[in-house]
Amino acid sequence: MAALEVRGLRKQFGGVVALNGIDLDIDTDRVVGIVGPNGSGKTTLFNVVSGVHPATGGTVFWQGQDITNIGAHRIARKRLVRTFQQAMSFPGLTVDENVRIAWEQGRRGGGRWTSPGMILDFVGLAPLGRTIAGSLPFGSLRRLGLAVALGVSPELLLLDEPGAGLNDSEAQAFASVIAQLPPQGIGVCLIDHDMDMMSDLCDRLVVLDFGTKIAEGPPSQVLADPKVREVYLGPDKKAAAP
Amino acid sequence: MPMTDNSAGKTGATPEGVRARDRLALLTADNAAVPLPAGVQAITAILLAVLLIALPWLGLGYRFLSIAITTLYTAIGLYGLGLQFGQAGIMSVGHAALMGVGAYASAILSVQLGLGFWTSLPFAMALSAIVGGVIGLPTLRVGGQHYIIITFCFCALFVIVLTNGGTFTGSATGLDVGSVTPLPGINFDKLSNNYYLVLAALFLALAATYLIGISRYGRTLRAIRENEQLARSVGINVDLHKLGVLMVSGLFAGLAGVLQLYYLRHISPTLFGAFPSLYLALMVMLGGARYLYGPLIGAVVVNFLPEVLNLDPVDSRIAYGVCLLLVILLLPGGVGAGIKNICCAIRGGSETQVGGSNGRA
Ligand SMILES: Nc1ncnc2c1ncn2[C@@H]1O[C@H](COP(=O)(O)OP(=O)(O)OP(=O)(O)O)[C@@H](O)[C@H]1O
Ligand SMILES: [Mg+2]
Repeated sequence: MAALEVRGLRKQFGGVVALNGIDLDIDTDRVVGIVGPNGSGKTTLFNVVSGVHPATGGTVFWQGQDITNIGAHRIARKRLVRTFQQAMSFPGLTVDENVRIAWEQGRRGGGRWTSPGMILDFVGLAPLGRTIAGSLPFGSLRRLGLAVALGVSPELLLLDEPGAGLNDSEAQAFASVIAQLPPQGIGVCLIDHDMDMMSDLCDRLVVLDFGTKIAEGPPSQVLADPKVREVYLGPDKKAAAP
Repeated sequence: MPMTDNSAGKTGATPEGVRARDRLALLTADNAAVPLPAGVQAITAILLAVLLIALPWLGLGYRFLSIAITTLYTAIGLYGLGLQFGQAGIMSVGHAALMGVGAYASAILSVQLGLGFWTSLPFAMALSAIVGGVIGLPTLRVGGQHYIIITFCFCALFVIVLTNGGTFTGSATGLDVGSVTPLPGINFDKLSNNYYLVLAALFLALAATYLIGISRYGRTLRAIRENEQLARSVGINVDLHKLGVLMVSGLFAGLAGVLQLYYLRHISPTLFGAFPSLYLALMVMLGGARYLYGPLIGAVVVNFLPEVLNLDPVDSRIAYGVCLLLVILLLPGGVGAGIKNICCAIRGGSETQVGGSNGRA
């Protein structure tokens, strides 16, 4: 039994069907990637699983418990934590305080960090502890987003395009931080558009299109799938590689 | 379990000594990157306490002491407002009505059941807290702007109910109470003793505000103020804490209202209507809701300004309006922020107010 089990998950915004019956199993000992064209429902999947939006139908099980629609804060307390596509922080507070807030929440029932400073060290933000989060450069803001999520001591981390807007070297540094998580007991489910990085980083890829899962498996196999190539390149350009 | 990072230069965590200083700095200096040193803060606190305690002996006269009492109980109410607005980011423009709930509860308990100051105080505070929470219920569903309108409506409604409450609320004339039940050796009919009673309550309010500010609870409130969605996603029960802080604010308001009642000995609906409520909002913005001494500064300025400048009521309303505009335009963090910035400038700190969203409250 996987730690996170999504069964027949549906989400409708008015007439828009953003998720159309998704089934998904995610374990906490690896990096699972979620890819798909813009508007395919990746972020919506995270939003519904993490309780930001209520599900229209279907069920989400976390560690065997039904957590569908129980509320975002309760899901976070069960150590299923997500980050946001739009880099988020508590902008008026210092970096230290940002991480401390999350750390204090994660400490209930025993967290993995003995101090917020450890988390800052881990993501490489320790020198910026006294800076106001709202004045951080974008790359550091992304790191802070990760640090805040890590502060909650997650067992599974849902990362929504953590590398978006970063330059190549920043993105690479970020990927190397992410790669360290599963060996520490933090499972990662990662959304990103950078296929090279995704195939390096992920043990398994899931492809969404129009709210439906169209492929799943090891990156090499998924990227060779004709259905996936069609989605990414259109039916008339099947010859080109994604 | 320590994890090692490879990507960035390591300077290690902040030393514990600095962290203790931060803790002190949190409220007085909001979350500024340049905190005032703990020594400066401690000296400020001691000087202020000595000044406030010595005030009745400075021979400033009956009128001065009366205004001082008004200032202090108003400040107590403002500390509640400072908590909900400065820390949690929920503004109210009906706060006088919440003080009125406490005042009227205590007055009615006195008239109907003969309960005195001390016995009615807990009930009055509890009722204010409950009413604060109930008015707050809609704010969980609608945005902050709607909540502001709701508080304003509550204020108007409260006055209407009181005015039409017959003998129970004393209608437009209001209600009278006796003096505060004397403690052994202390008779509160004496103005200076009444002053010390209110001052003791103010110290409690200050201490509570300070302790909340440096605690995990305070950080939780600031997280909600800064980013509700992120707060939820790290496991904070945002709805519960919003209601909670409005109830805590109601406790402060109830205490202030009862002190007001027993200082004036007579209350009527107009004391708790729209204008007094707007003044409270003005005072807290003027002083700086996020700063430990902000509410007190706001109360002092607004209560003493007409006296110092010798203004009649109409002129002083105009003066308040101008003050508020000036503060919003020139000192968005209130006078508290201004003073802190001056301190930092004197100390030679270069980065006084850092960050985009700072100083709004
Ligand atoms: N809050 C919302 N209200 C209405 N429609 C929404 C909302 N959120 C998402 N949608 C719609 O749901 C669909 C899926 O959007 P979603 O953000 O999940 O896509 P995505 O795969 O994350 O795309 P991207 O790669 O651009 O981030 C889109 O058609 C979008 O317009
Ligand atoms: Mg998205």
